[in-house]
Amino acid sequence: MHLADLIQLAVSAAAVAAMVGLAAWATRGRGAPPLDEAQARRWLADEFPGARIEGLWIGADGLGALARSGETALVLSRIGDGYVARRIAWDAAASAQFRDGRLSLPLADFGAPRAELRLQAWPPGDLAA
Amino acid sequence: MKIPTDPVTLATPFFILTVIGEIVLARYGKLKAHYETKDTATSLTMGLFSTLSGLPFAGVSFAGAMWLYHHRLFTIPMTAAWAWVLVFFAEDLTYYLFHRLSHERRIWWAAHVNHHSSQHYNLSTALRQTWTGGLAGAWALWLPLSFLGFPPSMVLIEKGVSLVYQYWIHTEAIRRLPKWFEAVFNTPSHHRVHHARNPRYLDRNYAGILIIWDRMFGTFQLELDEEAPRYGLVHNLGAFNPLRVAFHEWVGIGADLIRSPRHALGWIFGPPGWSPDGARDTSASLKAAWAARQVQAPSPDKREAA
Repeated sequence: MHLADLIQLAVSAAAVAAMVGLAAWATRGRGAPPLDEAQARRWLADEFPGARIEGLWIGADGLGALARSGETALVLSRIGDGYVARRIAWDAAASAQFRDGRLSLPLADFGAPRAELRLQAWPPGDLAA
Repeated sequence: MKIPTDPVTLATPFFILTVIGEIVLARYGKLKAHYETKDTATSLTMGLFSTLSGLPFAGVSFAGAMWLYHHRLFTIPMTAAWAWVLVFFAEDLTYYLFHRLSHERRIWWAAHVNHHSSQHYNLSTALRQTWTGGLAGAWALWLPLSFLGFPPSMVLIEKGVSLVYQYWIHTEAIRRLPKWFEAVFNTPSHHRVHHARNPRYLDRNYAGILIIWDRMFGTFQLELDEEAPRYGLVHNLGAFNPLRVAFHEWVGIGADLIRSPRHALGWIFGPPGWSPDGARDTSASLKAAWAARQVQAPSPDKREAA
């Protein structure tokens, strides 16, 4: 690599840093609102059309939600101002690690390995079976 | 590999200024654009290192092109205007083929998926370029142009022109352009469809510069006012880490090959989402399920007409 290429790379890296800083400034105070039930149901309808929602739990911090649909758990998790949706077995969700108010759901996907939900208790007594 | 006039290098200041302009104008409500800090950082980091990651294979592909040019069928002069018109169409058709393969076959999708991994659609998304394109070997699709007789430098310049053209169409700020332009050229509207994950829009509008190829080969889809594009992947990523963005599909292929090596051909060359038992979602299965839902529950305007 020539010196000119290194200079070009360094200048480009500085420009990237400046643009990211500008994006941070421009979006300050404009973060996505916490996830509520209506938004969660809209996303679930988009992602899993036709799925019958038998139970819905929204994370206390508004960063995720979990729904039961038969033997399937439908998971929503915030990423930036977007979200990730995955379908896992209900048994895996019901038996997922729950510690200090955090439910850690294994999604078995390198692109989205885990989803975390802040809940008061888990599993729910009436639907866990 | 340096070429005498690299359009992408020449356009880099324009890329930077227009991203800055889009961010600032959107901040003051002067145009439509949505930026998210981490998403922007990921896109720009991918763009920054994509040129470096392409270097090892650039030499191989250029050497291959030079060898084929040495054994060329015709001699096409780089100084003739007609030759530039010809290479424009030939390169753009090659790009259409490359882009279609990049969506419809998993090994090439693994290299291209990162470009679609943002849930946003703005000018920074255009710079979310591949780190593994050379590895996937799709560059071989351009080699026949050199065998035909186009000088390899000419092909490289035209590839750069196409890449620069495709930059400005990554925006929500431009809604529709004049009808004649939308009919012939790839536009922000057409490319928003391409980046959408709505089943109706999946695997559509592969064009580079000319949308005519999609119209000719049956892959064109108009952006519909009643269905706004939802951007990103069918299964969105849960991380902004560029390494995870760049390599997640390759890791997925590796895991599938280990799990079931006898289905190697399907895992590698099948459509993204292919699995031996059909349990996963492919574009075709998602489109079929969507079409079935439309039949069961027609849209309100169709119900009124009935």
